[in-house]
Amino acid sequence: MNRLALPYLLILPSFVLAAAIILWPVGEIVTLAVHDVNRFGMLRGFIGFDNFRELFADPDFFAALWRTLVWTAAVVLGTLVVSTPIALILNEDFYGRSLARVLIMLPWAISLTMTAIVWRWALNGESGMLNSGLRGLGLMNENIQWLAQASTAFPMQILIGILVSIPFTVTIFLGGLSSVPEDLYDAAAIEGAGRWTQFRLITLPLLRPFINIAFVLNTIYVFNSFPIIWATTQGGPANSTDILVTYLYKLGFRLGKLGEASAVSLIMFAILLVFTLIYVRLTMREEAA
Amino acid sequence: MINRRKFIRSLIFWALLAPVIVVILFPYAVMTITALKSATEVHDPNWWPSEWRWQNFPEMWETSGFAPALLNSLYVSGLTTLLTLVVSIPAAYALSRFRFFGRGAFRQFLLVSQMLSPIVLVIGLFRLVASLGLIDNLNILMWVYVAFNIAFCVWMLQSYFSTIPRDLEEAAWMEGAGRARTLIVVFLPLAVPAIVVTAIFTFINAWNEFVIALTMLRREENYTLPIRVFSLVAGRYTVDWNYVMAAAFLASVPVAIIFAWLQRYLVRGLALGAVK
Repeated sequence: MNRLALPYLLILPSFVLAAAIILWPVGEIVTLAVHDVNRFGMLRGFIGFDNFRELFADPDFFAALWRTLVWTAAVVLGTLVVSTPIALILNEDFYGRSLARVLIMLPWAISLTMTAIVWRWALNGESGMLNSGLRGLGLMNENIQWLAQASTAFPMQILIGILVSIPFTVTIFLGGLSSVPEDLYDAAAIEGAGRWTQFRLITLPLLRPFINIAFVLNTIYVFNSFPIIWATTQGGPANSTDILVTYLYKLGFRLGKLGEASAVSLIMFAILLVFTLIYVRLTMREEAA
Repeated sequence: MINRRKFIRSLIFWALLAPVIVVILFPYAVMTITALKSATEVHDPNWWPSEWRWQNFPEMWETSGFAPALLNSLYVSGLTTLLTLVVSIPAAYALSRFRFFGRGAFRQFLLVSQMLSPIVLVIGLFRLVASLGLIDNLNILMWVYVAFNIAFCVWMLQSYFSTIPRDLEEAAWMEGAGRARTLIVVFLPLAVPAIVVTAIFTFINAWNEFVIALTMLRREENYTLPIRVFSLVAGRYTVDWNYVMAAAFLASVPVAIIFAWLQRYLVRGLALGAVK
């Protein structure tokens, strides 16, 4: 009896804690989403899908949804494109490699909030150091108000997003590269394969599961990323850099529309669930292989 | 002896990495330089200050409430790390050493809880905490962090634990050591590297967390560091950027140094954990 109960006793504390603090809010959000809720959180009656209808009538919601997709796609793809060559280089033997590794991993050590606050200052229109730096280098003549309009603010936020995602992605790739057996390359070299052919026929296929995992995990992280946009523009000016998470936060805590905000949460769950299912399938396929 | 081919290769590689490294170092440069500028020079469109103003740091320390925020962050992150390990290690051990009914379901539960980030749940979390009457309480913040770190920790630890050969434990049983004794004398010492890596990740997660702290903390004396620094910037008409950058510097550079030092182990650990 004791023997049988042991594993359950071992997982019990973690399960109870995570379930209480994660599943309970989920239930709460589902309840709020289908009720008429006042701004103090009092339920005023079941209204079915009215909160969703309200949401779908709001052009800001669709703008934020669309921007979230652009944000996620741009950051994730940008990160993969930049990280692949970085990982390949860091996997080679060269002078100063450990220093290069530390430098590339550096953004990881600083909180997103601090990074975003520093960038907010660096991008300041009047006295920001990006403007003065670029002017000093003779690259431009007039100050750009980087964060004053979405057309410059949003690309900058994407750039910051890519920068902070590189360390994690490079790490996954380096793990993958270290699992490629060296003698495969030797064999290929004997067969007369050049470096590009080696990359295409050996490295890339063996790296594929790692690229897949980095892709899905980054997608989940970036989709949920709040501090970069909140600490640089708070979704402004005029909601023009809002993504779903900042839209949700404003809806819930500034406008007090808790029902609609919960509906946004549920829509995000649905999207995240799809990502997670993809992740599960990818890892399972890898385990099977 | 410098190897000529390797030297040329190194030059090419550094040249290729240079653009990324410049962009990565740029915010550090901005932060450090601004932290050492005088209040008037901050708004001059020059890169370099005419003099390095080290007093910014003690002045910022006095005026910005940095010290209490630092203590709050240390308290919350330290306890979060400890408690997360205390609940995660047994769970990870169970997953790696027992086959039991519901094991698959528990793993799926972890995966789902990993997927649900705090920001998506923020409204429900706020209501949970408010209904307990614990808004503005650092301890409930800590419990929320523990809950959200469990999945990652169990996952990481479990994948390490599975690489520790069972033979050693079985040998200890043969010798007559009980399960608990084997665990403490044989298993846990072997698992120390994994536990350290996981602990550091949890600590950094808690140290950097933003949304939950922003939502749950009200009074300034309860602020953690990210909220403290953010509050120096957000919703203010004038921002003392030199102090803000000094605060950001103090809040991040010590962590960055520790991280750079431990980076090698962390990287190896994460790569292993993510794929296994």
